[in-house]
Amino acid sequence: MAEDLKVDLELDLKGLLCPLPMVRVSQNITKVPVGGIIRAVATDLGSLADIPSWARTTGNEVVKTERVDKEIIFYVKRLK
Amino acid sequence: MDEKAQKTIAGVLDKRMNRQLLYYLDICTRCSICKDACHQYVTTGDVLYLPAYRAEIIRRVYKKYFTRSGKFYPALSEGSEVDEKLLDELYKTTYACTGCRRCMYYCPFSIDTTWFMAVAKAMLITAGRGSQILAELAGAAVIKGESIDLFKDIIIEMLKDTEKELQERVGNPKANIPIDKKGADLLYVALAGTHTILPAAVIFHQAKANWTLSMFEAANYGYFLGDVKQAVAIAKRIIDEARSLEVKEIVITECGHAYRVMQFLYEAWAKEKLPFKIRGIVELMAEYIKQGKINLTQDKIKEPLTYHDPCQVGRNAGFYEEPRYIINQVAADFREMTPNREKNWCCGGGGGLVAQPDLDDFRIKTGEIKVEQIKKTGARIVVSPCENCRLQLDSLNEKYNMGIQITSIMDLVANAITI
Repeated sequence: MAEDLKVDLELDLKGLLCPLPMVRVSQNITKVPVGGIIRAVATDLGSLADIPSWARTTGNEVVKTERVDKEIIFYVKRLK
Repeated sequence: MDEKAQKTIAGVLDKRMNRQLLYYLDICTRCSICKDACHQYVTTGDVLYLPAYRAEIIRRVYKKYFTRSGKFYPALSEGSEVDEKLLDELYKTTYACTGCRRCMYYCPFSIDTTWFMAVAKAMLITAGRGSQILAELAGAAVIKGESIDLFKDIIIEMLKDTEKELQERVGNPKANIPIDKKGADLLYVALAGTHTILPAAVIFHQAKANWTLSMFEAANYGYFLGDVKQAVAIAKRIIDEARSLEVKEIVITECGHAYRVMQFLYEAWAKEKLPFKIRGIVELMAEYIKQGKINLTQDKIKEPLTYHDPCQVGRNAGFYEEPRYIINQVAADFREMTPNREKNWCCGGGGGLVAQPDLDDFRIKTGEIKVEQIKKTGARIVVSPCENCRLQLDSLNEKYNMGIQITSIMDLVANAITI
């Protein structure tokens, strides 16, 4: 459950178009400790595939994705 | 850095050396006419961004490792060793270049700086110093290609809402966005997200086109990174899809570099002849209008509107008139920027700069000339058929409080279609 996840950093990516949601997550991932979680809220539907692909490329993990109306909420865990 | 590493990195230059690059190295007279052509040098005055200096860094490496004077009389040659300092300089100058080729247009010898930048990127990648963010974006695209089945359901889900919007826009509950349609005439390649899918779907619906949507996005960050293998892998996802669907042509959305990769670079890189045509959507829209396949409202946009020639669409691909033809069909007060067409100033966002946060301030600063160009037209709307340009223009609009609207040609056309 999302409410069980301890969020270390909130990112507002609403209104940003590809590739900027991915870029902002990448830019901020080192701001959380290893094992820490970024909660990123995007509106670009392209990020539904982009952010998980980015996570796989960089060895991190999207532990949960939620959709609330037009918002897509990613919980990205820093693994290394 | 040890000697072996130095030689490996310099060896990249040797492998890439050909008659044209050698000619460029030899012929430059350092006249520096290029200094007035480069928006980055004009706005910063920093020699690192002078096109002739960009070439000079490569020339010094060449002199050091591949000329007799460099090898046997290093003190007399102007050669430079490959070391961390040189790589730092190379990184800054290379990944900041937008590849706009305005310098080439003004150069008396037509020296193409992008050739030096391609070699520089290959050297940096070999040294493990390629742009990290561009590598991540390219890697993500490759992963998406390899695991498309994992993302297919997400993409189909995403399209449901867009399809509803399409049906409302065209007043037809049966209007759809086809995917995986074997035997379609054209495969349309959009950008990630839906903003380049909906307007195209409206246009294709009205033109009664037999089309299908690609599962992949057009953008190619392998190209910006300078990694040909990655660039080919990213483009090949689309090529393979087109082959399996047996389409007659691939139509690339309004994305300058994506069009150039598919139209001009892929065949040479992959050493294969493509069995289908490649076109940009602007060319196709112009054809639809000329053939009467789509009808546009006579109630033209009254606000002053200007057009930004993307470097990758104009100077680097030769499309100047098609966009202007379309704009004149929908806008009553079209105002040209000065200069325009092949002399147009780069907006400062190309070459992957909009995706590199460490260059955010730099691209805003170097976009000053574009801001002034736009202001002088008095236009309230700026149209440009390139996503990188539009993202940069959005940033300039915000940072310089321009109060303008930035849009694509597709949106102009989709909004002007009479249903």
